Amino acid sequence: MTTGAARELPAGPVPAGGVRTGLRLARLHLVSRRVPAALAAMAACAVALRIALHWQWDAYGALQLPLVFETGCAAAIAVATASPFGEPERATVRWLPLLRLGTALALTAVAVGVLTAAGIGAHLAGGQVDALRNIAGLTGIGLLCAAVLGGALAWTAPTAYLVIAVYALYTQWHGPALTTPWLWPARPPHDTGAALCAGLVFVLGMAAIAVRGARDTAGE
Amino acid sequence: MTAASAGPAPIVPVRAPRVPFAAAGRLLRLELRRNAMPWMVPLVAVLFWLITYRLSMAHPPLWNVRAMTMQTTASTVFVPIVVGTAAWLGSRERRSAITDLLAVTARPPWARKLATWVATTCWAVAAYLGCVAVLYVVTARQGAWGAPLWWPVAVGAASLPAFSALGFAAGALRPGRFTAPLVAVAAFLALELTAQFIHGDHSYWQVSPLVAGPWELAGDQGVATFYRYLPDLPIVQLMFAAGLTAALLGVLGLPASAGGRWLRRSAATITAAGLVAAGAAIWLAGTGRLDTHGMIAIPVLHNAADDRPIPYTPVCSATPIPVCLHPAYGSYLPAAAAALEPVLAELAGLPGAPVRISQAAATYRQEPGNDVYIGRDGPAMTETPPVYHLLLPVQYAGSTTTGAFAAEVRRQGGDIVNLVIGGGRSATGAQQAVAGALLKPSALPPGTPVAAAAQRFAALPPAARHTWLMEHVVALRAGRITLAELP
Repeated sequence: MTTGAARELPAGPVPAGGVRTGLRLARLHLVSRRVPAALAAMAACAVALRIALHWQWDAYGALQLPLVFETGCAAAIAVATASPFGEPERATVRWLPLLRLGTALALTAVAVGVLTAAGIGAHLAGGQVDALRNIAGLTGIGLLCAAVLGGALAWTAPTAYLVIAVYALYTQWHGPALTTPWLWPARPPHDTGAALCAGLVFVLGMAAIAVRGARDTAGE
Repeated sequence: MTAASAGPAPIVPVRAPRVPFAAAGRLLRLELRRNAMPWMVPLVAVLFWLITYRLSMAHPPLWNVRAMTMQTTASTVFVPIVVGTAAWLGSRERRSAITDLLAVTARPPWARKLATWVATTCWAVAAYLGCVAVLYVVTARQGAWGAPLWWPVAVGAASLPAFSALGFAAGALRPGRFTAPLVAVAAFLALELTAQFIHGDHSYWQVSPLVAGPWELAGDQGVATFYRYLPDLPIVQLMFAAGLTAALLGVLGLPASAGGRWLRRSAATITAAGLVAAGAAIWLAGTGRLDTHGMIAIPVLHNAADDRPIPYTPVCSATPIPVCLHPAYGSYLPAAAAALEPVLAELAGLPGAPVRISQAAATYRQEPGNDVYIGRDGPAMTETPPVYHLLLPVQYAGSTTTGAFAAEVRRQGGDIVNLVIGGGRSATGAQQAVAGALLKPSALPPGTPVAAAAQRFAALPPAARHTWLMEHVVALRAGRITLAELP
């Protein structure tokens, strides 16, 4: 820092509730969570989905395809919860629960937005409602996993769920079909039970990540 | 530090290790102990149980069906987890900020990374083999006929090092917290995409480890029972997996930081060899064709000895005409015998009637796209002695309900009657009436003279009916009996 720059600093203490301070805090939080990289990952998923939708898919493949990219977005959101600071940050940042909640919510909204946008003008199996439900549920699983295993390994649960969900979709054609609402990707878009299950998991994940944050793991 | 200790240290010659690979073994042991893959083993075990084991157990205890189902689903279960974990471990040095620290160690970075990859792969393969062992032991205890199929196991096991190398290379070359999830999901997508692009038996995509035979015949009970499980496609898949593994591991040794010139040249050679092997495997997969026994044969690799049928001793029913099935299908014998017994009781001992109903092998022919024609291998009836060759409904690909199974076997019972009495499309009225009487319920339109004759003939005592048939069946078959001559 130069002396000139030092002179430009305000003389008095920085007001804690100032908008500029709040924005700076939010920006630093987002950068520390690699949110720009997460956004880039979600954009990559959307672009890949858009390209893939140009092909002709059978009914099974058409349902499977968005689910894979929804999982990619959910995993990115979950991994973005990892904190590089650990305990010092927990002890000093008062607004941390709100920042964590806001970040996760904003990223989820972006994920729904970009994947829905990728399907405009093409046949996105299940439509926007399906995308919203699946991303919300998968994100909830990822956030819960982040709270338990840590941000770095938070991708494991959405990925494992993807494998099970794809199998559940497969059973719709090769019975006996798995019809539990907890496997919401295999349910129709307007299935209330599936939406409730996905929503519940999303709320639990959000609550866990807001209150506890991602588990700090040694060496990360 | 004291002044005394600051003096020049005595030079101690470094001894070469007594065992050349002792250091490498120690490094591997450390990596095995500090690896993340063991923590993933419970997860893949649960996924294996949920998807592979339950699905396999839903099929009858046939090695072909269970092994082929296992190969397809186990790849799906293991790949994303193994790729993600390997990517996570591949980026470990950068993530833990110890790249500079490790740069000054005696081992070249490539060798160090290979140790981590080997440990990850060992855990993944061990988990895979453990899961497969459980499935195979349970199948063996359920009395599956024949020997376990090892080629599907080998393909699954060989694909794990390749996918582990894929994840590890991605993690090492692009370290970051998003690498593991994105590579895991991308690998899963790539694996599933291969299934979408398979069209016919000449598809290059058959090189995918998901494919355990003709794609649309997955889980078909008719293949690899009467004839051997062809190793042609598995050999190509093993070759592809080995080539991909070599190429990906070789890429890790290409950067200038990976080691010395000699090491990098070796890495380049391994990469090139791997790419050649993988490319050759893809080309070979494209030369595949569906053989008549329902397996993918690759002309360059095909061994004619594999086309010989597997000898077996059939299991037979105690019906008037024995129904004999391949022992692998022994569980279907009671249902098949029960469906045929009414007809067999009428036909037993008649001139020209079969002395045995013997299960036939299915024959396969590739149709446009992914359609496959499945029919009986050989004629329905062979002479001296007359034997009828039955094709079970489960050999037509796919599972069937108990009711549909019985209906299809009864339909073939009608074929047996027609062969004995000379029915069929150009049947005479007498032949139609006798067939209608023997095949209950009759499909004849009520109120016609043929239906009336059939009712009359069916109302005869079984012994009288059988006696009349014994005397007149040859004339009936020749079309010399009129409707009025029926008793």
